[in-house]
Amino acid sequence: MKQLRHPFAWWIWAIALSIAIWRINSIAVDLVLIGALCALVAQRAPLTPWRNTFFWSLRMGFIVILIRLVIGILIGVPMPGNTIFTLPQLALPNWLAGIRIGGPVTTERLLSTFHESLTFAAIFALIGAATSLSHPRRLLKVLPIFIYEFGVTIVIATTVLPQIVASISRIRNAQKLRGATKSPLMQWRSIALPVLEDALARSLELAAAMDSRGFGFLKQRSSYREIKWRSFDLLFAFATIPLLTFGLHSTPLAIALLLLALTSTFALTANREQVRA
Amino acid sequence: MIEFSNVSLIYPNATKTVIEDLSFSVVEGEFVLVIGSTGVGKSSLLRLINGLVPHHTGGILGGDISVDGLSTRTVKPGGLAHLIGIVGQNPAHGFVADTVEEELAFSMETLNVAPDMMRKRIEEILDLLSLAPLRNRLIATLSGGEQQRVAIGAALVMHPKVLVLDEPTSALDPIAAEEVLSILQRLVHDLSLTVIISEHRLERVIQFVDRVIYIEGDGSSRIGTPQEIFKESPIAPPIVHLSRALGLKEVGLTVRQVRRETEELRTSLKSQPQTTTIIDETEVLNIKDLSVNYNGKKVLEKLNLSVHRGEIVALMGRNGAGKSSLLTSAVGINDHATGTVRILGKDLAKVSSAARMQLVGYVPQEPSDLLYHQSVGQECASADRDLKLPDGSTFNRLQELIPEISSDTHPRDLSEGQRLALVVSIVISGSPELIILDEPTRGLDYSAKATLSAIIKELAHSCAVFVATHDVELVAEVATRVIFIADGEIVADGPTIDVLLSSPSFAPQVAKVMAPSPWLTVGDVISAIENS
Repeated sequence: MKQLRHPFAWWIWAIALSIAIWRINSIAVDLVLIGALCALVAQRAPLTPWRNTFFWSLRMGFIVILIRLVIGILIGVPMPGNTIFTLPQLALPNWLAGIRIGGPVTTERLLSTFHESLTFAAIFALIGAATSLSHPRRLLKVLPIFIYEFGVTIVIATTVLPQIVASISRIRNAQKLRGATKSPLMQWRSIALPVLEDALARSLELAAAMDSRGFGFLKQRSSYREIKWRSFDLLFAFATIPLLTFGLHSTPLAIALLLLALTSTFALTANREQVRA
Repeated sequence: MIEFSNVSLIYPNATKTVIEDLSFSVVEGEFVLVIGSTGVGKSSLLRLINGLVPHHTGGILGGDISVDGLSTRTVKPGGLAHLIGIVGQNPAHGFVADTVEEELAFSMETLNVAPDMMRKRIEEILDLLSLAPLRNRLIATLSGGEQQRVAIGAALVMHPKVLVLDEPTSALDPIAAEEVLSILQRLVHDLSLTVIISEHRLERVIQFVDRVIYIEGDGSSRIGTPQEIFKESPIAPPIVHLSRALGLKEVGLTVRQVRRETEELRTSLKSQPQTTTIIDETEVLNIKDLSVNYNGKKVLEKLNLSVHRGEIVALMGRNGAGKSSLLTSAVGINDHATGTVRILGKDLAKVSSAARMQLVGYVPQEPSDLLYHQSVGQECASADRDLKLPDGSTFNRLQELIPEISSDTHPRDLSEGQRLALVVSIVISGSPELIILDEPTRGLDYSAKATLSAIIKELAHSCAVFVATHDVELVAEVATRVIFIADGEIVADGPTIDVLLSSPSFAPQVAKVMAPSPWLTVGDVISAIENS
């Protein structure tokens, strides 16, 4: 029962949860979900380079919230309520009525902006978690063969991407020791160049290795350890249905159902040490 | 098995042919070594065998190559996958799966081998290469030697008739290298596999091979038995240089052979080499209670170490013993390190990055990590700017190291040795007290290594040098002191002669020949003969 779940099961699970939180649209539910995902990934994501995808997605969600808040303060539709502070307002022509730049910033406006972007962040986190937990390469294995045929690109991308992340930190560390004090833009350039060079060289090397091992030479492939769709995968994916159907009634009910869905996720998935299907 | 007839190769937009009119044939069960300086086309030659060149890289191929009757002109690399196994220079760059078992299965999956057959063959390979305990491990967590074994296993799983390996031991410590090569030797003898291999560290492979292909820089090449080739080839392992220097009738290829021929000499020479290592009293590097933990895994534990000015300290140890962790901690860029690192009494954690440049210089494993400008001149100018040095001082430094370099060259067009020299001159432009080099000889040929040795000796006049390496011959040549670490602890620390001679796998070839006399290099032996 406790196994690595089928990649499709993970993606159905992630999509169902995304739809649910999108429709429920509550800050509390979003926060509970993000917290629970952190625990889930820490406990269950296999120890592969893809594990970090989730943390990157969290970071991305955070940046989205920040950007959205800054824009929300500067530009926006006026919303009446408790004014926190007032920015100098830019005079705009008449035909732009309804939009303004600057002006009073109200608690309500901040809250609604935060709310909206938090939902985005939660969906990012779900996609990141699904990637970390299902492992893209396993997903690739279960995709139909005609997709696999143009899979060289995907295989290379899924292999080289984690290596790029590793080489960024390696190169940044090494360059710190060149003692250069550079503007952030120059620093970015000086890291990007060797990283891209590295990534390109590796991709070519990998493509050559795959080529000489017969990848794509035959139309038919066999599978060493087939990833089978089991009945538990169905149960796993369907654990999200109560949330989808009854979650809209009230926030406490939604939180309860979300926790129920995530508990069954915990119960049905293998621990992080188990890598094999 | 392999038939090259009048093969020539030229890459598009190149002015020089890589290989010109090369003809040879390799029979089943032969162990062939390809030698030549860096960049002469060894890798191209190996990749010609399964058609990666020119099918994958482009280039114009003249003549014909056939493997087991199939011409690489008409058959693409994928069509030869069942016949030729190929292992690239860095196996980690060629892995497509996450776990050992899946990696072994990959070729068979793509060639549609039936699942029960796959299972059988995987078990067979796991046993043959003693990989069974590792079958479910993530490849990324394996050591270099283990990864190399997995790569060989992944190539062997299709039961190929030919195995091609590009510098299989360049990233390995002496013991792991020995292991990989003896596996190859066994495959040649037991299964009559044909093995073609390229290698820079000839001292490691020379005793195993049946024939040698020597590619000279100008596109021409010679083929012959090791005896014939090494009689005059400028590229040769220390043992050959020794037998040439001693004027032996035949060039010796194995320690046993040369020992037999030098019996008289060894008994007649009694003088000890004078060990004249004058060590400055100034302590440059002081490491106290250094521990490094990665996610709860101990890499280094409570390490204490001090290095004095004028010393050249070699850091040796197995792959994954913690050498790189120690070096990155010593320069203060390891975030997982606890304990104190002082250079000339200054705590590295508390100095600014510009001040750090004046204390310690670091040459990373991939020297190109530090380079990002469009020409050698720009790289040097930017180093001058960063350290507020007068214009041209870094470039002058570089010209002292290698006079023939032009400032307009793109760093990528430099040879490995030149690129290393460029990085060294950038790093030493701040005139640091300590220079750290991580695995500098990887991919270097003998002449580049000689340049490197000269650079290191020159550096040691003004500062301390700390170098991590697997290359015992380099250590024998330059180091004054050797530190050996295993499992995160220092297990041996002493003068080079004592440490190297106490372990058979780390003793250089000359030392093995001349044992029990403590001579490490050909130079040592020559000066001993002259003095007696």
